[in-house]
Amino acid sequence: MLLALAAVPVLIAVAIRLTDDGQGGGGGPAFLDRITQNGLFVGVTALVVAIPLFLPLTVGVVAGDSVAGEAGTGTLRYLLVSPVGRIRLLVVKFAAAAVFCLAATLTVSVAGILIGLALFPVGPVALVSGDTVSVGESLLRSLLIALYITLGLLGLAAIGLFISTLTDAPVGAMAATVVVSIVAQVVGQLSQLEWLHPWLFTYHWLDFADLLRQPIEWSSFGANAVLQLAYVAVFGALAYGRFATKDILS
Amino acid sequence: MNRTWHRWIPAVAVPAVVVVVAVTGGVAATASADLPERSPQEVLALVGASEVEAFSGTLEQSSDLGLPDVSALSSGSGSSDDSGAAVSSALELATGSHTARIYADGPERLRVQVLDTLAERDAVRNGDDLWFYDSDEQTAVHATLPSRGDGATPGDSPPGTDGAVPTPDEMASRFLESVDPSTDVSLGSEQTVAGRDAYSLVLTPRTDDTLVGSVTIAVDAETGMPLEVQVFARGSAAAAFEVGFSELSLDTPSADLFDFAPPAGTEVTEKDLADRFDGDGDGGAGPGADASDAAGHQGSEPTVTGEGWGSIVETSLGGDLTEITSNPLFSQLATPVEGGSVLQTALVSVLLTDDGRLLAGAVPAELLQQAAAAE
Repeated sequence: MLLALAAVPVLIAVAIRLTDDGQGGGGGPAFLDRITQNGLFVGVTALVVAIPLFLPLTVGVVAGDSVAGEAGTGTLRYLLVSPVGRIRLLVVKFAAAAVFCLAATLTVSVAGILIGLALFPVGPVALVSGDTVSVGESLLRSLLIALYITLGLLGLAAIGLFISTLTDAPVGAMAATVVVSIVAQVVGQLSQLEWLHPWLFTYHWLDFADLLRQPIEWSSFGANAVLQLAYVAVFGALAYGRFATKDILS
Repeated sequence: MNRTWHRWIPAVAVPAVVVVVAVTGGVAATASADLPERSPQEVLALVGASEVEAFSGTLEQSSDLGLPDVSALSSGSGSSDDSGAAVSSALELATGSHTARIYADGPERLRVQVLDTLAERDAVRNGDDLWFYDSDEQTAVHATLPSRGDGATPGDSPPGTDGAVPTPDEMASRFLESVDPSTDVSLGSEQTVAGRDAYSLVLTPRTDDTLVGSVTIAVDAETGMPLEVQVFARGSAAAAFEVGFSELSLDTPSADLFDFAPPAGTEVTEKDLADRFDGDGDGGAGPGADASDAAGHQGSEPTVTGEGWGSIVETSLGGDLTEITSNPLFSQLATPVEGGSVLQTALVSVLLTDDGRLLAGAVPAELLQQAAAAE
C-alpha cells in the first residue's frame, strides 16, 4: 500500500516532465504549475492530490482491518486467550494505525521530494505568502506538513477502529470507513450545512497550507489537533464500549 | 450482565464530556468584561487618543449580504478580462468569509495577508513601495508611491499629525455633534474581542430611509483601538457585515515581514498609481470600506443627494453598458426593474439605469428609483 502511495508523486512528476512545454498551463491542483520551477513542490502537490482519496483509503483499510481482520481470520480469540487486556489490544491496534498514518504521509512526501530532485531543478522555495525560504527550511516545513496531515488522519483512524469492532467482516469495516471519510468531505462542500463544517474531521485537512505561510499560522495546527483528539476520544471510548462488551466468538 | 453495563460507561461519558467542553468553551469566550463606566463621549475620546501604531493580529471578516455565493463563479469568469476579474474579486471579498492577518509598524509599514485555501493574497506597504501578490495566479503588482501619499494607511491607525490637531476630547464632542442629527450614539454592553475587554459603541440611524439598522464598534478599553465593526441590517439580529480581530498582539512585528520581493517565476506588473487604488488590495483591510466606494470608482465625478444615512451617490458611467450587462455575474446578481436593473444586498442597493447612470446608497431600492426618476 505504501508503494501505491509512493506511486502518486512519481506519476505526477513523470507526467509533468513528459508534457512540460515550457509554460505553466493553468488548472489542475494547487502548486501543480510550480513543479517545473522547483522539484520540492512535487511532495506538496502529491499530498494535495492524495488527501481527498488515497490517504483516507489506505487509512480506512488499515484501521478497518485492525480488529475485524483478526476476527475474520479467526485469530482474535487466540490473541485474547493470552493474558492481554482488551483495552491494551485496542490501544496497540490504534497505535499501529497511527504509525501507518505517519508512514503513509511521509511516504508520499518523501517520494515526492526524491522524484522532484531527480527530475526538476531545485532551489529556494517560494511560500504562498510570496516570501522565499531556503531548501533546508522548506524540508523542515515538509516534515511539519506530514505531521499535520498525520494528525488529521488520526480521527479517521479512530472511526475506523470503532467500525472495525462492530463487525467480523474486515471488508465491510474498510468500506464503511472510507465511505465515512468521503461523506464527510461531501458534506464539507455543501454550503447549506455550513454550521456543521467546523465539526467535521475533514474540516482542517487542506489547511496544511497555513504551514507554508510566512510567518507560520499555527492556529490551524492547534485547532486540528484539538478536533482530532476529540474524535479519537469519542470513537476510542465507543470502540472500548463495544469491544469490552463483545462476545468474541471467532 | 451488570458488568457489561459498566463497560459502556466511558463510551457514554467521554462523548458527553467532549460535547460539554465544546459548548462551554464557546460560552466562556464571550463572557462580558467588567470595565469602569464611561459615557459615549469618553469612549470616542479614547478612540481619538489611541496611539497604537505597531501591532499584528488576525482579522475575521464575514458578511451575509444576501448575495448568492459567487466564489465558484469568480474562478470561471476568466482572468483574460481584467475589469471582470477585478469586479468578481471585489465581490468575492465583499461576500463570503475571510481570514486575514495584518501586520503594522507605523503608518508606513503594513502587510495584509488574505488567507485562502492553499493560497494567499498579500498587500505589502514598506515606505513608498507597494506590492500586491496573488499566490494562486502567481502574479504581483508593484507600485511606488509619490513621496507623500496616504492611500494605503489602514483605517485603524491614527490620523497623521497635519496642522493643528484637536485634542481627542474635542474631536469626540465635535464628532458627536456632527452625527447627532442623523445618528444616535450610545454604549452597548461590554464585550470581549480577541481576548481584550472592549466597550461597544452603538450607532443607530435616526431615519427610517436606510437599510442599516445599527453599527456596533468594539473599542479596546486599554488602548482605544477599534477591535471589531459589525453592521446590522434593519430588523436583523445577525450582523450583515462583520470584521474584527480574533487575535491581536501589540508587539512590533518582525521587520523582514515588510521586506517583500516576489518569488522567481512570478509575473510582475508595474502599475502607475493614478489608476490604482480601486479597492483591489485593501478589501480585507479597511473595515470602513463600503460597497458604494467600489461602485463609484470608475465614473465621472459622483454627485451625492440626500443626507446622512439616506444619502444616495449618483454617477454616470457613460460608455458602453453592454460590457457590464453581458457579464454573467451581472445577470446572476441583478434583478431587472422599471428603468434599469437593481442589485439588492442587505445593506446597500445599487441601481443601474438604462441610460447609463449608476445610483447607490444604503437605502431601499425604491428610493433609488425615485431619485433616478426625479432627474
